[in-house]
Amino acid sequence: MSEELLYPLLWLIPVAPLASAIVTALLGPKVLKYRSHLPCWSALAVSFLSSLVLLYSLPSVDSQANKPEIWRAGEDATAQAEQPAGEAATAQPESTDGGSAASGESEESRLAAAVAALKAKSDAEPKVGPEIVAFGFEWLHVGKLEVPFELRVDSISAIMLSMVTGVSLLVAMFGSGYMHHDAGYPRFFAAVSMFVFSMCMLVMANSFVLLFVFWEMVGLCSYLLIGFWFHKPSAAAASKKAFVVNRIGDFGLIMAIFLIWTSFGSVSFSDVLGNPATIARLHSVAPSLMPAICFCLFLGAMGKSAQFPLQVWLPDAMEGPTPVSALIHAATMVTAGIYLVARCTPLFEYAPLVQLTVTGTGAITAALAALIALTQTDLKRVLAYSTVSQLGFMFMALGCGAAGAELVTPAVTAGMFHLFTHAFFKALLFLAAGSVMHAMGDVIDMRRFSGLKRALPITHWTFLVGAAALAGVPLLAGFWSKDEILAVLIAAAKTSQYGLFFGIVLVIASLTALLTAFYTFRAYFMTFCGPEKFPEEAGHHPHEATPIMAWPLRILAVSALLIGLAVGPTHLFAGYLQRTTGLTPVEGHFHLDVMALSVFIATTGIGLAWMLYVAMPTVPAKIATVLKPFYALSQGKFFLDEILLVLVVFPLRAIAWLSTLFDRLVIDGLIDGVARVPRTLSDRLKGLQGGPVTAYAGVMWIGMVAAVVLAMTLL
Amino acid sequence: MPAFQDLNQAAGLIIPEIILIATVCIMFLAAPFLVSETGKASAGLRHRWGVLTSLSLLCALWAWLKAPLDVAAIGPFQPDEFAWYIRGMTLIAGLLLTLILWDQTEDSIAAESFACLLAILAGVNFVALSNDLVGIFLGLEMVSIPTYILLYLGRQDWMSREATIKYFLLSIFSSAFVLFGLSWVFGLTGTTNLSLLTQRAVSAQPGFEHAMLSAALIMILAGLSFRLTAVPFHYYAPDVFQGVAPSSSAMLSFLPKVVGFVALLQVFPACMGVTKLAAWSPADSTRFLVSLIAIITMTFGNVMALRQKNVLRLLAWSSISHGGYMLVGFAVASSFGATIPDAASGLAALMFYLPVYGIMSIGVFALLSAAGTRQKPIRSLEDLHGLSQTHPATALMLSVCVFGLSGLPPTGGFLAKLNLFVAAWSENTEMSRTLAMTLALNAVIAAAYYLRIIGVMYFEKSRTVVDAEPRSTSVLAGAICSIATVMVFLKPQWLWDAAAAAVGLMMS
Repeated sequence: MSEELLYPLLWLIPVAPLASAIVTALLGPKVLKYRSHLPCWSALAVSFLSSLVLLYSLPSVDSQANKPEIWRAGEDATAQAEQPAGEAATAQPESTDGGSAASGESEESRLAAAVAALKAKSDAEPKVGPEIVAFGFEWLHVGKLEVPFELRVDSISAIMLSMVTGVSLLVAMFGSGYMHHDAGYPRFFAAVSMFVFSMCMLVMANSFVLLFVFWEMVGLCSYLLIGFWFHKPSAAAASKKAFVVNRIGDFGLIMAIFLIWTSFGSVSFSDVLGNPATIARLHSVAPSLMPAICFCLFLGAMGKSAQFPLQVWLPDAMEGPTPVSALIHAATMVTAGIYLVARCTPLFEYAPLVQLTVTGTGAITAALAALIALTQTDLKRVLAYSTVSQLGFMFMALGCGAAGAELVTPAVTAGMFHLFTHAFFKALLFLAAGSVMHAMGDVIDMRRFSGLKRALPITHWTFLVGAAALAGVPLLAGFWSKDEILAVLIAAAKTSQYGLFFGIVLVIASLTALLTAFYTFRAYFMTFCGPEKFPEEAGHHPHEATPIMAWPLRILAVSALLIGLAVGPTHLFAGYLQRTTGLTPVEGHFHLDVMALSVFIATTGIGLAWMLYVAMPTVPAKIATVLKPFYALSQGKFFLDEILLVLVVFPLRAIAWLSTLFDRLVIDGLIDGVARVPRTLSDRLKGLQGGPVTAYAGVMWIGMVAAVVLAMTLL
Repeated sequence: MPAFQDLNQAAGLIIPEIILIATVCIMFLAAPFLVSETGKASAGLRHRWGVLTSLSLLCALWAWLKAPLDVAAIGPFQPDEFAWYIRGMTLIAGLLLTLILWDQTEDSIAAESFACLLAILAGVNFVALSNDLVGIFLGLEMVSIPTYILLYLGRQDWMSREATIKYFLLSIFSSAFVLFGLSWVFGLTGTTNLSLLTQRAVSAQPGFEHAMLSAALIMILAGLSFRLTAVPFHYYAPDVFQGVAPSSSAMLSFLPKVVGFVALLQVFPACMGVTKLAAWSPADSTRFLVSLIAIITMTFGNVMALRQKNVLRLLAWSSISHGGYMLVGFAVASSFGATIPDAASGLAALMFYLPVYGIMSIGVFALLSAAGTRQKPIRSLEDLHGLSQTHPATALMLSVCVFGLSGLPPTGGFLAKLNLFVAAWSENTEMSRTLAMTLALNAVIAAAYYLRIIGVMYFEKSRTVVDAEPRSTSVLAGAICSIATVMVFLKPQWLWDAAAAAVGLMMS
């Protein structure tokens, strides 16, 4: 397809869901009613097909020779942007010199190594992959900050786009069956369309500012959808929690954006990420800059991707309808953090310590969430913790670039690959769980039902496929991607510099993989095996998923079965992704040793689960009594919610309370005191009931005198 | 007759204001004859006055568009680009406020209410236009005095009366500060004309004269801080916002802030001997003081808002914190000034923030007044429970405006905060970075209580069945505001260019 035709296509991808959102919001409640899914379906289908076309034709776009006019203009801007950026950077050294001198020799040697690496890098050609940038309109022009409304598609975003639109389409289909005759049916589809629009824009944004805007928008849609059943207080509380916790991460992201802007003089991806030479120069002038930027970026990613200690919101987010959990809180939105870190790889390369932090945080999160998932009895919560854990896996991989420049690309590839496969099998698992919930009359506690194998055959086999893919059963999707992660961790552990660190992470990763296989199949066995038991809410005959729910399950199951095999070992995915700007294509390898390890891990985990929950179903209770403190720790989610409550919420509440108290006691006291003076002189204003007005005036007077005195002393 | 000619020439510069004042005169004169001695008026009289007010405002807007800029004027009025921008902003805000007042006011007092509003608008414009300290002070009083009447007219229960008297006394007190400061300036320079003042200020002796001048400026700042609701001059705000009618709160949340900043930006540069606003930034001591006030104001405002149950008090604290955000722009000002012409300017960010805040804040109050009834106005957060079910459109628009106030995309509020942040951040000093960080942190804190408003509207069951009382003009004002909030986000450039031009920055 010629390039000119790709531009309208590019716009069509976000615009179709937006149009659907508007149409559904306006016409839904009155006109469309229970046909509200139609605009959403058609819009998502259009977006999905467009994404596929884009995915297919992108590699043939030759961004070097056949750049569109706008892209050329962008290059000129880059050249100009470098000028002030250089100036800004030269202004920094005084402060940074002091910092590095204090941190001693090891810092110096690291610096020398980094500088050497930079030299090698700046000699190399700028790595520009195929990309399309579509210019929308001049959006912002504030001082030196220029942000056009631009869409950009390169390899990484093309992959994300097709994944997002594809999964959304299937989830929307499932949702129309699941939400059948819910009073908020139109509202659901309007919000889902809005979400898909925001998510598409997030991955297509060509600047950090635009990315931030849609970063907030997906958060908003997530807020609306978590609180979808707002009549449940828990849902309303969960939606608020999700939003507020995310805001903490957003604070980091906006700091990162401003650091980027002040140092690069631009916030466009093309300018910031596409010029290794600029990054290298900035880094050599101010060595603490890139770590600061990357740390702030990672803080943003931690919030959105629910990494320790900001993971608390994701399990609670399961209060939303299950299709929403599948779409937003498993497959798409929560992976935005991974996308951001992967996208900013060129910056992270210069911040090995932050990369180590990324890996470390990922490892802690993965292990912690897996341990919590072991004892949960709510099927959706098991899946939620498993999502947190898998996101931890992805971050673990992303940080491996710290071990050496040659590992950067494999690390990003592994992380993104896991993101890709995870989207399919986790969406599948959630939808299957939704189907169980649907059949069980909204009961999701695994202790209250079992042996659903016969009653829900389609749900059963699709869930089994998803669980096997998650557990890492050979040849299924999760197997290939988890393999890549373990392989890159092993490679990192073999390096001299951070070998020990990555060695420890590797052990954690392997154990977590074992736990993953165990808890996934624990959930499977508890739900589908054993004696047949239904809760009374389900009625006598639990009904299997209707066709509109069953087909998305089937399609996702086939994807979970085959997609890893199709794009993993064939090097299709890696080869495609590695053409993203900032990555260097590397050869694909088969890691037979790693595969053996994964097979061992998966079979052990599944076997253990089988032994404990099928062969000897009385044992788990005994274990629970023997290891009571540990069991309580896991079931209580390591009391992280409570810890956060004590460490963050209480102090904040205390501050608010103290301010009120201060206002009431000290300031009002002061006011009363001041008020007494004129009051003794005159009783005229006694008629006033509320705050004494003379006192307010007194405080104003004191304020003015204080201001004058302060200004005079400063003069 | 040169005097007559001068007068004629000066009058030619203030046609929009003359239109407003003429309408005010007509209304005050005619109104008593249309109301019986017992205070009864024929039903629907307010509609006639409303139409007249809107017409007058539209004429003023038309005259404003046609009026020539005369930057070189050295007479009593100087209609430069700054004044042009402020006038447009007030007149448009005036239209929106008229729409809210239309629903709120009663037939018998409609004429006086509308007339007071018009007088206030004219007063704001006079402060912006004035080329003389006396003119500025008169303009300030032209804002204050009708405000007292308007507040008193709004609702006649004891709460409203108490709030009005509080506002009245404290406002007079703050005006005294301003007047005292202005008299010092006059004493030191021997002139009240701003153009002359600028020249004299350049030749002021370092040492005593400088110290006296800056002391005078601090007094003026303190007096005007009352209007900006800056801590510790904010005390009246929660009480007054809670006490008066929503239409008055809408006015109080916006116009005093505008006139406060306008007066500051008229007096401060002149007293420091700077002719061009674009080249001015506060002296270091003032900047430190203003930054301090800004930090305290936004933090204190937000923290206090967290605990409020009464939605009007909550909005009062929110308004206080917004005053703090705006002070960031004033503190940063144009520290790059003339050296880098296209640098992000704090003043331009402030000029951008003002109208964006105005539409969001007016929108919130308009919709609150639309959601309540005369018998049962919206007071506590509980009154908003389940508004999305009883008034879905109102709830949606209110959410948009509240989102704007919290500074989240996709609203103009996001860009307004972003601009302030960019300006503060790019100044690159410790103080300005602290300001920027505090601003961002406060935006995070503020999300919690703004979200609560949206939360109760959408995530709570409606408790009371509200009998719908048609408040079409308030809804119209709210609709305009919420649409504008989103439109500014999508197409911000024209407003930004206008704001930058207002402070004398020419955009490329």
